[in-house]
Amino acid sequence: MKELDKEVKVKVKRFSEEKGTWWQEYTVKVDKYTQMTEVLKRIKEEQDPTLSYRASCHMAVCGSCGMRINGAPRLACRTIALEEVDRTGSDTIVVEPMDGYPVLKDLVVDLTDFYNRMYKVKPRLHPSEDVLKGKSEHRLKPEDQSRLWKFAQCIWCGLCVSSCPAVRIDVEFLGPAAHAKGYRFLSDPRDTSFEERAKVLIDSAWRCTYCYMCYEVCPRDIEPVEAIKLTRTYTTKFGPTGDASSFGERHSKAVEESIAETGMLQGGKVYVKTYGLVNSLISMIELMKDGKATKLIMERQKKVRGIDELRKLLGEKQ
Amino acid sequence: MEKLNYDVVVVGGGLAGLMTAHEVASAGFRVAVLSKVFPTRSHSACAEGGIAAYMDGNSDPSDSPEFMVYDTVKGGDYLVDQDAAEILSYKSGEIVRLLESWGALFNRQPDGRVALRYFGGQTYPRTRFVGDKTGMALLHTIYERVSGLNVDFFSEWFTLDLLVTDRRVTGVVAMEMKSMSPATFGAKAVVLATGGNGMLYQHTTNSYINTGDGYAMALRAGAALKDPEFVQFHPTALYPSDILISEAARGEGGILKNNKGERFMTKYAPMKLDLAPRDVVSRAILTEVAEGRGFPGGYVQLDLTHLGEKYIKERLALAVEAGRNFAGVDPVKEPLPVRPAQHYYMGGVDVDVSGANPDLPGLFAAGEAACVSVHGANRLGSNSLLETLVFGRETGQAVVKFLENSKEVRDAPNPEKVVDDAYSFVKRESGVHFGEVMKELRKTMWEDVGVFRDEERLKRAVSKVTELRKTAVNMYVTDRSKTYNTEFFNALELRNMLDQAVVIATTALNRTESRGAHYRLDFPKRDDKQWLKHTLAYLRGNTVEITYKPVKITKWMPEERVY
Ligand SMILES: Cc1cc2nc3c(=O)[nH]c(=O)nc-3n(C[C@H](O)[C@H](O)[C@H](O)COP(=O)(O)OP(=O)(O)OC[C@H]3O[C@@H](n4cnc5c(N)ncnc54)[C@H](O)[C@@H]3O)c2cc1C
Ligand code: SF4
Ligand code: SF4
Ligand code: FES
Repeated sequence: MKELDKEVKVKVKRFSEEKGTWWQEYTVKVDKYTQMTEVLKRIKEEQDPTLSYRASCHMAVCGSCGMRINGAPRLACRTIALEEVDRTGSDTIVVEPMDGYPVLKDLVVDLTDFYNRMYKVKPRLHPSEDVLKGKSEHRLKPEDQSRLWKFAQCIWCGLCVSSCPAVRIDVEFLGPAAHAKGYRFLSDPRDTSFEERAKVLIDSAWRCTYCYMCYEVCPRDIEPVEAIKLTRTYTTKFGPTGDASSFGERHSKAVEESIAETGMLQGGKVYVKTYGLVNSLISMIELMKDGKATKLIMERQKKVRGIDELRKLLGEKQ
Repeated sequence: MEKLNYDVVVVGGGLAGLMTAHEVASAGFRVAVLSKVFPTRSHSACAEGGIAAYMDGNSDPSDSPEFMVYDTVKGGDYLVDQDAAEILSYKSGEIVRLLESWGALFNRQPDGRVALRYFGGQTYPRTRFVGDKTGMALLHTIYERVSGLNVDFFSEWFTLDLLVTDRRVTGVVAMEMKSMSPATFGAKAVVLATGGNGMLYQHTTNSYINTGDGYAMALRAGAALKDPEFVQFHPTALYPSDILISEAARGEGGILKNNKGERFMTKYAPMKLDLAPRDVVSRAILTEVAEGRGFPGGYVQLDLTHLGEKYIKERLALAVEAGRNFAGVDPVKEPLPVRPAQHYYMGGVDVDVSGANPDLPGLFAAGEAACVSVHGANRLGSNSLLETLVFGRETGQAVVKFLENSKEVRDAPNPEKVVDDAYSFVKRESGVHFGEVMKELRKTMWEDVGVFRDEERLKRAVSKVTELRKTAVNMYVTDRSKTYNTEFFNALELRNMLDQAVVIATTALNRTESRGAHYRLDFPKRDDKQWLKHTLAYLRGNTVEITYKPVKITKWMPEERVY
């Protein structure tokens, strides 16, 4: 077993309102077990008490210690210092505050925007009156429990939102964590405010770009994008609730039709059906510039074999 | 200084604080919850195993709430107030039901009812759980619920001290961490739900934020701590992160080994071996390390490898996750590095079963911050989450009654003094900084007020802590930043830790017997004749004043604690 202590350099992006931004380097002795929260604690207690960061549980359940470590959005307590050294091949570990939130001091960011997103989805169960008064009791199937628990384990760390491109450009988008939370209640059989929740969630769900960043970074394996996909499936039932979802629903209808016709996704056709011919032509011109659209328009699909079977499975749309 | 007014101020956004706030807000009173971290970052999130509850119609057919009282009393080595244990047990079922109705995703039985499992010290299985993240699940559920009520949250507000006017509590002074601006919160009642104090010890499974601020605030306001000498240690915390590795790992066949590869428990507990009680195993591990048979850094190995990959992954998923994520060790392939660590604080602000402190009208406490005496000398696993919720609710209801009969209170005459005292660290130009004192304090508490205690160590600890308290008067804060200056708050936490440490060391020296988690090498036996009584300790300047209070016994007479 290798117990040897090793010295690593930790380069921290510092900030204070008084002094602005600067980089500071520390040297810390670590062994193969040392978590990044411990590294920061040693710096603070032994070298530089002015360094500010958040940390509480040191076991990845409280969500305090989100930051960027060697460029990646991570929980510091879930990051072993020497594993970073192995991964990057460099003895220097670069630590920065989470992206996308205003920095208050050093690694401490202002999460107000994150919390507000969470409150927008009314993150609490609305049980029936009878249950609340103790007149009756919930039963919940074990499989529902485990399905819901997957999405309920969010620790509000903010990492997914900090790495979500859609949140940056689309003010109407609730963001990954809020969607995971929202879906967790939307699909809880014990909840009573189904329609109200659907109204808040459906349109926003169509604003996600499916880039899977949230899936990558979430330390609790919540897979918010999966919650978003599942929320989209509610569109047919409730109908579109805004711009994004009406485009979105037309989009998925077009996808379905394209598959039904040829057994393949015909990009060009789907695009035209979703956005209408005129809109499509406008964006095609934009796309031509990088050659993408040519491919979209040009490809003419042959039917794949077994398409007739597939049609049956899809319910044979006329 | 800004002044805000509420009916009630709850300090603490963990399970206990949020439950209390729920009751007060539901009764229509104005309540503020102050927490030094965003509520879901509280230590309650760390609880793994579960919450004990006897549920009518959903328990072992042979079980009864009476058995649960008995288990709790015996587990606590008879220092439990039995009326309190009765409330805990008889109200456990409705508390779990309540949390379930608010959406808590308890694991289920095939028919949809809440599932249950065994935990140490239970005659019948009673523990309800949400995977291995019960605390996290319950904390989020209750935060979700309470954030929908009319409660004002002040998150990342650090409470400095209680305000006392005309010998009653009339509010607190707190500081917003972001802007560093202080404010007084006037209130007719204040509830301390500030959690435990594991950071007092060099090794602890607790969160970094568990510095026991509430204990120190109560002491400084003139209230007593009850049974402060009782600190629980857990034998197997992961080295070096001190993340808890549950007893299940040894239950399933895990073996403890020293640096020679010897199964050392054969020496200390030839019969029960690795499954001997927590205190015995903790002492064995520390003896091995002290005698040079530990690994560099001071740990031993918990070997699971012989159990085989399939078995380990199936039965000990959490140990696998913890080993891999936090120690870079795969327990399927190599042994886990473990050592004992502080785990829970049985002592706390002296309160009765309604959460009220007898010294200061208007002062209440709940959760790990309080000592209602349900855990006595040793807490049973999964009874603590239960306590936070049952007594959080009892306390909330008692506060409502208190408010209904309470007159307007006079404003505290000089709240500025509280802020000046805090700022005195910043004004200084030289002296020690918090890190130096903190390290020494945590080392002293670990070595001399830890698993092994005796007169010599405890005397040494008392004088060392007294000395550190003097040094800390010259503490200073190097960071002059006016936003989120964590060095400043760490200094205040250290001041709080020192105030409790002197009380814990002194009362441990005073109790000349061994009971539950308090183990004296020089007095290895329990002594009911002299010591079947609660310690009450006050801090007057540098003096710790000790008095006693009888234990409430309703039915269960003390007998020897054997398992
Ligand atoms: C690893 C681990 C596992 C555990 N597992 C279990 C288990 O399975 N079952 C069980 O029953 N128990 C378990 N426990 C014990 C249990 O988790 C705790 O006793 C319980 O959660 C304490 O809750 P609380 O509400 O009293 O305090 P906490 O949850 O600690 O909350 C304290 C609150 O006070 C606030 N606060 C503190 N000081 C200040 C200040 N100066 N100003 C403002 N706010 C302040 C904090 O911000 C926080 O919100 C476990 C403990 C540990 C360490
Ligand atoms: S998949 Fe969607 S929610 Fe997730 S990061 Fe990408 S755009 Fe955001
Ligand atoms: S979904 Fe995952 S990454 Fe996003 S806030 Fe929750 S726990 Fe963090
Ligand atoms: S410290 Fe709690 S998640 Fe990292």
